[in-house]
Amino acid sequence: MSCETFRVQLHAYLDGELDRPALDEVEAHLETCPACRRDLGELEQLRDRVRSAPRHAAPAELRKRIQGTEQLSDFAPNPKRWTAPRWALAASLLTGIALGAIFMGWRYERQASGDSMAMIARALVSSHLRALAAASPVDVISEDRHTVKPWFAGKIGESPPVVDLKDAGFPLLGGRIDYVGEQRTAVIVYGHRKHVIDVFFAPTGETGQQPRQLDGYTLMPCQLEGQRAWIVTDVDPDTLRQFTGLLACAT
Amino acid sequence: MRNPSPSALDLGMVRDLTLPHLDSAYNLARWLMRDPQDAADAVHTAFLRAARYIHTYAGGNARAWWLSIVRNCCLALLSTRRPAVVSLDELEVTQAEMADGSTQGPEEQLHLAQSAALVTGELERLPPEFREVLVLRELEELSYREIAAILNIPIGTVMSRLARGRKLMRKALTQDGRSTT
Repeated sequence: MSCETFRVQLHAYLDGELDRPALDEVEAHLETCPACRRDLGELEQLRDRVRSAPRHAAPAELRKRIQGTEQLSDFAPNPKRWTAPRWALAASLLTGIALGAIFMGWRYERQASGDSMAMIARALVSSHLRALAAASPVDVISEDRHTVKPWFAGKIGESPPVVDLKDAGFPLLGGRIDYVGEQRTAVIVYGHRKHVIDVFFAPTGETGQQPRQLDGYTLMPCQLEGQRAWIVTDVDPDTLRQFTGLLACAT
Repeated sequence: MRNPSPSALDLGMVRDLTLPHLDSAYNLARWLMRDPQDAADAVHTAFLRAARYIHTYAGGNARAWWLSIVRNCCLALLSTRRPAVVSLDELEVTQAEMADGSTQGPEEQLHLAQSAALVTGELERLPPEFREVLVLRELEELSYREIAAILNIPIGTVMSRLARGRKLMRKALTQDGRSTT
């Protein structure tokens, strides 16, 4: 056997993954080959160095969080991150809706010459608000993703990923087709408590990378089953992070 | 097909399966996410997912089953955001902190701490597919078979990624050694 072959075997030898016959063969070769012995020495040294990197132990807080989980909707991200009182949340929400609705058209005009991403963001929030103001934020009302998906397929010839996150506290409310700027786009609508979460499937294929804040709404870009999407909602940042995670895991 | 909501019994069972390997789960998530809070959130999301898909557990190696869920959640979370950039400042702070902690000790200890910080930095900079095999092999001390099950790749691929990962690490560390001395 050549040294080339042994070089590959050396890793398995080092990791204790060789069976008896292979082990004997490698050891016999090592006896006679100083170059491979040196290689093994270097590998051992490297292994010791890599093992000096920390093995991170789970924080007690995480263990408690998991032990305290009674239902799948119990996700409670680090509470320190979200400390605003409820009334402040409600107030900012109402202000957001009111201001947003009043100034939407005006700002949309004003920003028309601004960068296109800002325009898209504006259009998304505008669509979100229009839907909230309507009798129902969805065109097809269904908790069942097997109703929503074909509905889209029939309307726009493609069906965006739809997932069932009811157990995690994000029930599917339905879907709608909306215009973002001049683009027809699929919107999947989820609920969370009294909040509505819109998932827009990239009107232009481009979402930028950074989340944006607009009139109290968060626009979070993400990638779902290879499709670019925007999540538009007023839920708090931790819940949004949780939702994005579940969505990504489920698709 | 809808997945039934897990009962209290399921949650108890999932806890029995996952909690003994919580450190492994967190360690893997911490190395993949490169942030303590993101790692904790990823593990909790993975726990919820494990509870939801408990029926996919067919007995056998619970750690491998659980770690593969944790890994999938990490990758899913990472795919939703832009690639994290490790800032140079951050790395320097960690090195300074670690060096600081051992000033009372002998010089060797200082050297060791600096070396560990260096290794940590290089391991974090390694492309994730090599980083994860090294973490699972060297820090979790898992067998090739277990690693293959977690990453859902053939054992041969585990071996080649390990060899490649070690080569990259060796190269990076020798370069660091040269630039710091």
